[in-house]
Amino acid sequence: MRGFSWGKRSVRAGVGILLICTVGLSGCTQGTSSTESVHQAATSLPKEELVLAVGTEPEGGFDPTTGWGQYGSPLFQSTLLKRDAKLQLVNDLATEHFVSEDGLTWTVTLRDDVKFSDGESLTAEDVRFTFETAAKSGSVIDLTNMADVEAPDTTTVVFTLKSPQSTFISLLTTLGIVPEHAYGPDYAEHPVGSGPYKLVQWDKGQQAIVEANEQYYGKKSTFHKLTFLYLDEDAAFAAAQAGTVDIAAIPAAFSKQQVSGMKLESVKTVDNRGIMFPMQPAGAKSGDGLPAGNDVTSDISIRKAVNVAIDRTALVEGVLEGQGRPAYSVSDDLPWSNPDSVFADANPDEAKQILADGGWVDTDGDGIVEKNGTKAEFNLIYFAGDLTRQSLALAAADMVAQAGIKVNVEGKSREETKKLAYTNAVLFGWGSHDPLETYNLYSSTHKGEGYYNTGLYSNPTVDNWMQQALQATTEEEALPFWQKAEWDGSTGFSYQGDAPWAWLVNIDHLYLVKNGLNIGEQQIHPHGHGWPVTSNLEEWSWEEELK
Amino acid sequence: MEDRMGWARFVGFKMLRLLSLLAGVSVVSFILMQFSPVDPVEAYIGGDMIRVSAEQRSLIEERWGLNDSPVERLFTWGQALVQGDLGTSMIYRQPVADIIQERFMNSVALMAVAWVLSGLIGFGLGVAAAMKRDSRLDHLICWYCYTLASTPVFWIALLLLMVFGVWLGWLPIGLGVPAGMAADQVTWGDRAMHMILPALTLSLTGVAAIALHTRQKLVDVLDSDYILFARARGERGIQLFRRHGFRHVVLPALTLQFASFSELFGGAVLAEQVFSYPGLGQATVQAGLRGDVPLLLGLVLCSAIFVFTGNMIADILYRIIDPRMKEEAIG
Repeated sequence: MRGFSWGKRSVRAGVGILLICTVGLSGCTQGTSSTESVHQAATSLPKEELVLAVGTEPEGGFDPTTGWGQYGSPLFQSTLLKRDAKLQLVNDLATEHFVSEDGLTWTVTLRDDVKFSDGESLTAEDVRFTFETAAKSGSVIDLTNMADVEAPDTTTVVFTLKSPQSTFISLLTTLGIVPEHAYGPDYAEHPVGSGPYKLVQWDKGQQAIVEANEQYYGKKSTFHKLTFLYLDEDAAFAAAQAGTVDIAAIPAAFSKQQVSGMKLESVKTVDNRGIMFPMQPAGAKSGDGLPAGNDVTSDISIRKAVNVAIDRTALVEGVLEGQGRPAYSVSDDLPWSNPDSVFADANPDEAKQILADGGWVDTDGDGIVEKNGTKAEFNLIYFAGDLTRQSLALAAADMVAQAGIKVNVEGKSREETKKLAYTNAVLFGWGSHDPLETYNLYSSTHKGEGYYNTGLYSNPTVDNWMQQALQATTEEEALPFWQKAEWDGSTGFSYQGDAPWAWLVNIDHLYLVKNGLNIGEQQIHPHGHGWPVTSNLEEWSWEEELK
Repeated sequence: MEDRMGWARFVGFKMLRLLSLLAGVSVVSFILMQFSPVDPVEAYIGGDMIRVSAEQRSLIEERWGLNDSPVERLFTWGQALVQGDLGTSMIYRQPVADIIQERFMNSVALMAVAWVLSGLIGFGLGVAAAMKRDSRLDHLICWYCYTLASTPVFWIALLLLMVFGVWLGWLPIGLGVPAGMAADQVTWGDRAMHMILPALTLSLTGVAAIALHTRQKLVDVLDSDYILFARARGERGIQLFRRHGFRHVVLPALTLQFASFSELFGGAVLAEQVFSYPGLGQATVQAGLRGDVPLLLGLVLCSAIFVFTGNMIADILYRIIDPRMKEEAIG
């Protein structure tokens, strides 16, 4: 009997819960009116507010000394120098900087009127503290070449390097300065800085809300409040369709779909993809002792033929839906790239000629050329799961097949690729605002080291030019040396020289932007999609008629 | 007195099992992570690979103790765990315990709603289908369940997102709170609105198993002699079910429902991913993809306790609902 009454009660309780749920649900249907009003509110937001879905969340928080701000700008902090739309260096916190004759001592003088968002002044001590903290942090900030940093007075900072490094300037343009007095274990979650914005709220895994920093010394943005949503690409696109966001970063696959009220902006990049060739004959060894080298790709006529046979414009049209541009070097259109590295491609006949001149002839009539009994055949590896890379690899393989070279395209995991990269051609992607990348990819110093120079490329003349570029005391002074390393008229790492790579395309970064929102003149974006779009927030505005 | 002894033994035994289970899963997960192809340093550096020299790489390895042998690392981790320290997450650079705590509240609310809904609806549908066996209603319910049982969670999630978030614009497309709203202005209503789609996704798919099992069980019961006898006495419909059916089907339903904690957790991982919902699932995906061993181990422990608790509640309910179980246990 007792048990039975329990049963009754439980049924009643169940019905009760069910009722609550239905009431809850009907409550939700009433709630729709409130979402609609939110929805409308989003479209008629006060014009000085923006909602952005432009990149993944910096999970580690907003601490520049552990990597925040490496892409785009640190937003909450300011940097000593920065790059304008043309990637020219301009002062930010610094008033001037000079480098000693031997390239080892860098002296930077600072503005004396800068305050952090909490009202305290920014001094040279804070800069010293920032660089020392970053050097010790064991993060992506590589300061291993910095021997010492001193602050002799409140507006002077002196860096001492272990060896000359003209690319040290990149650290001055990317590392946001943190306040020594307000830095602690929870700084990453509660950043205090001297940048144009300050963090108001961070809902982890969801969004960050920021407001203009009244203490900011520079040009103020039109927008006093920004909300960054951390959404996947699919979710960001859905948010754009639902009208929730003012700007959303989207992959090329979505570029053909129209979204009402928004326009598609494509930003030029050096986010490139290219084929890396092993440069040594088989039997070499990588830095970690892995087998390296390839008998086919080590022949320069093969590498040149591949380069010439590929129709880069067709790749852009076919694979990238037109959202990109042909690539001829790792740093197209950046100040340190050599404009002479561009060449006429899409020419299988010339490729055949190059092969014939190099001794590669098709003797058995199978359409593939041979030399001394070796077939012109090699593997091309791409990261499995990356559709763009797969399509590029397959299309490129088709193009070079016309010249008589057989390329076997294979998708591998990153980990496998790492082991196979020394013996096989690999489709890699690079692109940075730092010429140090060029050095890492082509110098003999870095050959066979991780993903750097996996082809074991080595050319003493190129090394020499790059060494001079590093030793230069200013970036301008270094530029001609970087360009000569690429092609100095007789040798270099460009197609005209040793052709250790066949660069294919630069992939445009795509953003859906609310009609009427002007995102200013964008820099050429580096590899990695999203954040760089915010680097010129102070230039963003609504077009006149919408004000 | 005897009863209390029985309970004590029961609980003690369960705790012992939980401890051995936790030790087991942490060791196994740790070993799996060792064999995982993800290079933690690379995952940590992410897109900034090129800026980092070999020298800096070794600094990072040192900073995160990646140079120690696996056994050493597991031992250090276990030692800290005994003192209540779950370690620091590599990607969030925060104590693991804090992350889990923060995200647990979000996920628990989501899973609780989905769980209650799917349990009640599933049970109701199962009973309705069995009582009206071979009717059109029965066929409809079975069709629905078979379809749902074979549909991936993320697909349902995307479908709901497209329909209610994008086309109709009734519900938010993701996140746990409204975009751009200060924390002190977020109401419970806002939170509920943002929970509807993920919770609906989870409960829609959770319904199938419980409905089909309940239906089958009740069909068996309805074919039995004592039901024939009851029918002969003139009992029909609700009354018949309440007097003779309910007890027989509620036990398996409850077991299933509590055993579904693991599926619930798995489903939440996918649904949270689609809806950018900041729960445990999202953190689990990040930890797995980026080789964040301390965070992943913390989450594994957390989910093991969660699933274990579900099963234990089922056992306890058995003992309460069906006194015969208790007697057997006391023996």
